[in-house]
Amino acid sequence: MSVIDDLKFYFFHFMPYVYLPPAYEDHQKYPSMWVDFSNRFYDPIKGNQLYRRYLSEMVMADKLGYDGVVVNEHHNTPYSMMASCTLIAAAIVPQTERVKICAYGVPINLEFPNRLAEEYAILDVMSGGRLEVAVPLGTGMEYWANPINPATARERMREALEIMIQAWTADGPTTYTGKFFNYRYLNPWPRPLQKPHPKVYMVGVGSPETIDMAAEMGFGYSIVFIPVKAQLQVFAAFREKAAKHGHHLKSDDTPIGVFAYVAESDQQAEREYKEHLAFFFNDLIRTTPRYLAPPGYISTEQFKVRAASGHDKLHGAFDWDESIKHMRIVAGTPERVANEIGRWAEEAQSSKIICHLHMGNMPEWKTVKNLTLFAEEVIPRLRSKRPAMSLTAANGHELQPGAK
Amino acid sequence: MAERTHNADAKSVFRQETLTVNGIKTVVLTGGRGDPLVFFHGGGVFHGFDFAAPWTERFTVYIPFHPGFGDSGDDPEIVDMHDYVLHNLELFDQLKLERGVRLVGFSLGGWMAAELAMEHRRRLHKLVLVAPAGLRDKEHPGADIFRIPPEQMPSYLVHDMQVIARHLPKEPDPDFLAARYREMTTIARIAWEHPFSHRLPRWLHRISVPTLLVWGEQDRLLPYQQAQTWAKLIPGAKVQTFRDAGHLVLDERADAVKAVGDFLA
Repeated sequence: MSVIDDLKFYFFHFMPYVYLPPAYEDHQKYPSMWVDFSNRFYDPIKGNQLYRRYLSEMVMADKLGYDGVVVNEHHNTPYSMMASCTLIAAAIVPQTERVKICAYGVPINLEFPNRLAEEYAILDVMSGGRLEVAVPLGTGMEYWANPINPATARERMREALEIMIQAWTADGPTTYTGKFFNYRYLNPWPRPLQKPHPKVYMVGVGSPETIDMAAEMGFGYSIVFIPVKAQLQVFAAFREKAAKHGHHLKSDDTPIGVFAYVAESDQQAEREYKEHLAFFFNDLIRTTPRYLAPPGYISTEQFKVRAASGHDKLHGAFDWDESIKHMRIVAGTPERVANEIGRWAEEAQSSKIICHLHMGNMPEWKTVKNLTLFAEEVIPRLRSKRPAMSLTAANGHELQPGAK
Repeated sequence: MAERTHNADAKSVFRQETLTVNGIKTVVLTGGRGDPLVFFHGGGVFHGFDFAAPWTERFTVYIPFHPGFGDSGDDPEIVDMHDYVLHNLELFDQLKLERGVRLVGFSLGGWMAAELAMEHRRRLHKLVLVAPAGLRDKEHPGADIFRIPPEQMPSYLVHDMQVIARHLPKEPDPDFLAARYREMTTIARIAWEHPFSHRLPRWLHRISVPTLLVWGEQDRLLPYQQAQTWAKLIPGAKVQTFRDAGHLVLDERADAVKAVGDFLA
């Protein structure tokens, strides 16, 4: 079976705060939009309007037939108004009927692991078993914003993950004794609805340590913000490592992210899209090498590789032509967008497509247009490549045996 | 990570010894003759140990690289300053430094020396703390080194940039940056969450050996007024401060180096 036979589409919203001060483009004055970019620029009245709008876009994705909606968590930045991933997910759950709620996710080191196990279980039970989680170490920036030691973050994350899985799968009360955590009565109520537990991914930028952890613990691996070529190498390494641990990965264990915008013509799509993508890469994710790598967040060897290669260039220096070479970015007609995504899915052997359809400071009409055209014109084109399923999807009827 | 930390001058006076302390490769520079003087370096070793050469005329000088610095290995199991005290006690055992040690600690190494001295005073003869870190002085707060961008760090270290210019790369150098990142990682292990020791104000009174505080009056990292705070906590401690000198007072002022030698003699 080709991965394209079972493509799933997940709408990811970053929920940025977009009303930046006039001088925000001055990279000298504001070298980072994270960590130290003053929250005096946050206007809660505008924030209220944005939350209402963004949440309605998530709900719309449910009605339009997306397979899931994705939220995550960042701190001290206009990049994301989701400083608590589980709060945002909880706001979406009762407004949606069928989409998977993907918390991709709380940086596990920023919470007590039993409490995170509880919060995720609440979401899973409330949503009737629609929760998926991804576990990020958290960007380097989160460690400047939160009182957690970056030098021991990976060790700590490992323990926290073990505790979360134990809390979900073992009948309590149990105990856990570690270097960072000691539980005398690990016995969280409620427990998740899905058994043995909701689908778990780890999130990363390809650090070998994270890939190893995901492979060993039998999780999926979701990769963000590195060039496609490097992503494919990471997936290959991950599949090999997971197999060594006896885990045979499925095509949804390695999701890929795509930046897509659909319009009436390729020219119109580019014209409507570019400025918002540029705002995202130039401004929302702009930060300094120091904030990206707090002390001990990466190994000294990794740091040297980054320092020599200019790894941090992505953060604040956007170039359209350069970016479309290295990232999965497509703006065009439904035909074009569908073709590109189909190709990317085959190439990465991934059936799970994380769709970034709102970008940067995109106005509501563009997000709604994109979300709708993608759902009505792109997804059916991709689904039509699997003849049997497309009939089911289109007509809602069971196929006759042998109809293939 | 191997980095050349000592230059021609220092090399001519010091020989390098490699020991294994509790499983961790520990490199010690040794030179001179006479009573033992141990120097605990601070959180950055890029500026070398030229300044220490005059001490070798009067003492046998030992300069160990702490785990996580210079040519010594990393010890990810180190979680707080007390681990460094234990590491150094074991190193002293190997070097047969049972009694009569003249201990000099600078900056992070000053904090280390103070903790060692209040726990193991009978091994020491005298103590010198040069701009020591680790004590929270609410009246005269120091800079948070983790908030200082690496490119600004040199200006926090010296009054006269010429003093360290030759130790700094002319252009961005991944090796140099990575060595500094490793040092900051090492410091983060013990000081990210707790940049100050709660033990120091409570137990410094146990230091019963003659103690000298040395400080540069233009220290931008730790203001020299902190010397008086330390002196109030250590019975009988003397203070000597030096004009036109920043945090690296021993690199900037030969008379500070001489004052340390005279005090320890």
